[in-house]
Amino acid sequence: MLEVQHLTKVYSDGTAALKDVSFSVQDGEFLVVIGLSGAGKSTLLRCINRLIEPTEGKIIWNGVDVTKADSKSLRKIRRDFGMIFQQFNLVQRLSVQMNVLAGRLGYVPPAMSLLYRFNEEDYRMAEEALRKVGLLEMAYKRARELSGGQQQRVGIARALMQQPKVILADEPVASLDPVLAHSILGYLERLNKEEGITVICSLHYLDLVQRYASRVIGLRGGQLVYEGSREDIRRMTDAQFKEVYGEEAERIAPPSLLGGTKDA
Amino acid sequence: MLKFAWIFSILLPGLGQIVMGQVRRGLFALTGFLTSLAMAYWRFSLLAPRETTILGVLRRSLERRPSFTFLVLILLALFWILGILDTIKLAHVGPGRKARGLISFFFVLSLLLFVLGWQISEIDVPRMVKDFNKAMTPLNRVLWPWKAAVTRDTRVLSARAEILEGEGNPPGKPVPKPGNPYVYAEPTVGVSSKLDEKGQPVPGTIITLHGSGFEPNTKTDIWWEDPIGSRFQVRIGGEYLSVQTDPEGKFTVKLPIPYSIIPPGAVKGPLIHYVEAQQVFPIGPLKLSTPFLEIVSRMVETIVMGLMATVLGIVFAIPLSFLAARNIMHGSWIGMSIYYLMRFIMNVVRSIEPIIWAVIAVVWVGLGPFAGVIALTVHSIASLGKLYSEAIEGIDHGPIEAVQATGATKLQTIMFAVIPQMVSPFISFSIYRWDINVRMSTIIGMVGGGGVGFVLLQYVRLLDYQAAGIAVWFIAVTVAVLDYVSAEIRERMI
Ligand SMILES: Nc1ncnc2c1ncn2[C@@H]1O[C@H](COP(=O)(O)OP(=O)(O)OP(=O)(O)O)[C@@H](O)[C@H]1O
Ligand SMILES: [Mg+2]
Repeated sequence: MLEVQHLTKVYSDGTAALKDVSFSVQDGEFLVVIGLSGAGKSTLLRCINRLIEPTEGKIIWNGVDVTKADSKSLRKIRRDFGMIFQQFNLVQRLSVQMNVLAGRLGYVPPAMSLLYRFNEEDYRMAEEALRKVGLLEMAYKRARELSGGQQQRVGIARALMQQPKVILADEPVASLDPVLAHSILGYLERLNKEEGITVICSLHYLDLVQRYASRVIGLRGGQLVYEGSREDIRRMTDAQFKEVYGEEAERIAPPSLLGGTKDA
Repeated sequence: MLKFAWIFSILLPGLGQIVMGQVRRGLFALTGFLTSLAMAYWRFSLLAPRETTILGVLRRSLERRPSFTFLVLILLALFWILGILDTIKLAHVGPGRKARGLISFFFVLSLLLFVLGWQISEIDVPRMVKDFNKAMTPLNRVLWPWKAAVTRDTRVLSARAEILEGEGNPPGKPVPKPGNPYVYAEPTVGVSSKLDEKGQPVPGTIITLHGSGFEPNTKTDIWWEDPIGSRFQVRIGGEYLSVQTDPEGKFTVKLPIPYSIIPPGAVKGPLIHYVEAQQVFPIGPLKLSTPFLEIVSRMVETIVMGLMATVLGIVFAIPLSFLAARNIMHGSWIGMSIYYLMRFIMNVVRSIEPIIWAVIAVVWVGLGPFAGVIALTVHSIASLGKLYSEAIEGIDHGPIEAVQATGATKLQTIMFAVIPQMVSPFISFSIYRWDINVRMSTIIGMVGGGGVGFVLLQYVRLLDYQAAGIAVWFIAVTVAVLDYVSAEIRERMI
């Protein structure tokens, strides 16, 4: 279980990106974070695994306070949180396989990675992860040669290598077209349902939120302004959605497509 | 008031405009006028060093450089008149309106500065044209030096005679040995060529050299050896002195005792010079000349110097560049102070030219290629460090974040997210630097840093333009090849 308590983040330039945000996430949830651009979604997700140092507040992961962890235990904690990004954040020059293997860096002895070396076991895992996202035959291509949707699947494979308990996804489909968006979220949903991985995901589009979320929290100006269950969201009208979300909210595709395709 | 502003402009160009509120225009005219006036007066007074009054200075410089002085005075006057006219015109246009006509000011001022610049930089076109032939000989030798690239072994036929300078017993006629070449001089006593107090050359005693027993109908060179043992081929008017023997193997030649510097007290006893006649016959096959072989080995030295400096530069620059990259060092104030310190040091070191570093290194480790390598390495570290650190600063932060999120350590993050992003710029900058270093190492020799520059300068000083030409050719070809190769590699890598 993940508990976020009174989380506050003030950037060095004085921007208060998060103000006293508290919520908790049960294992196996598909939590969607919504909010305007600049509301603090990315900041929130990055505070959870301390890619960004929180200014105040606590993050309790299975009883351990992440904010107090020293670098050694932080390394262990981070392994539990796989992360995927809007811009995919692959290392363009490395092969797909090496990008996926990078997901094991939290496990292997640091000295080995100086030579880009991994265990046999890790290579096998990488193969497995690539097969899961359907990119096995791309293993030896350079990451930059892949399309956007393929790159995001590599991103998922990399996160899987961590054997994560949680996946933090920061607008994972914002740079992809609608069909691909469903494909990527489909993978996340399957991981959530079949492997019990908790997903915390920020999303932009109401229909995607309604389709995938098991629970939603809304941020506005760094403050938690909305919390709703799956049923609450299903009932939500566009007008209500916009209230939390702001005028930018929009639907991604006609309703006929919703829940349709899973793979692209 | 405005109507009479031009009166101020009569006093000084620009004053009138300032009075009328056109301050910038006025200041421009004023500073332009005063600067050129000061420069003109400086040049005039250099032309007339003994004059004390302004009028005297003007008169004297008009005498010495009439066209220059006249032109400058005319232009100054023109500028001044323009200033007055401009003020009158401004008065007509009225205040606040945008006034034109600045172009003529600029034009006259540029002309003035050009004329002054011409004189200050001692441009002398007539001399350049007149003395062009002087440049032809060395130029020809430099452009086509290959005759000096090969030599043959030689057999030498020579004989010498003594000449006494100053006090002592006049040397007698040498005794001829049958079958050997023979020379004697008349007179056997005389004085060397000198410079008088004004620096004008005063030819020494003319001696006549008679030779016999040489190979008939053959070019014979005249050499000289002064009392401190330095030996040189005699020149008259810049050309080497040589005579042709007659069909009986005899010759007669007149020459002044050449100029020689003998430090006081360097020789005890009488000053004995030797004059020597020598015939040289090539024997055996053609082979590469000593200068050629020397240049080849120095060229190899040069390229190796450039390579070593590049490798060493890279080795040191990589770790330092991380310390000089903002995105690596930010976070703590210690990091940022190291960052600023590194930046500062690199900028200072980089702004000192390698040739200056070479001068320092020569003092430090002595003449030779090591000094050159030190100079180039120091400069390479600083400039590569800067380029690398900028490449590091330019990398995409996304992959770093992603790798960190997996639980990677700092070192792992650098290996997986930073270094892969740096490979291309890194290779490209390194090759670029190698290119620069080899070019630089050809020059660095000139201050004693080893390499081909060292011998090039030596040949130029000895007036051996052919050997110098060979060196120049080698440098040019190497640089051109390098240019091509490095461009090619960079193209492929990126
Ligand atoms: N490194 C930083 N330094 C200073 N301010 C920052 C920094 N990163 C983000 N901010 C500010 O913090 C606020 C929240 O930013 P954040 O990126 O978390 O928003 P977001 O909800 O993810 O927006 P988007 O939907 O556009 O990604 C914004 O006002 C932003 O300008
Ligand atoms: Mg964001």
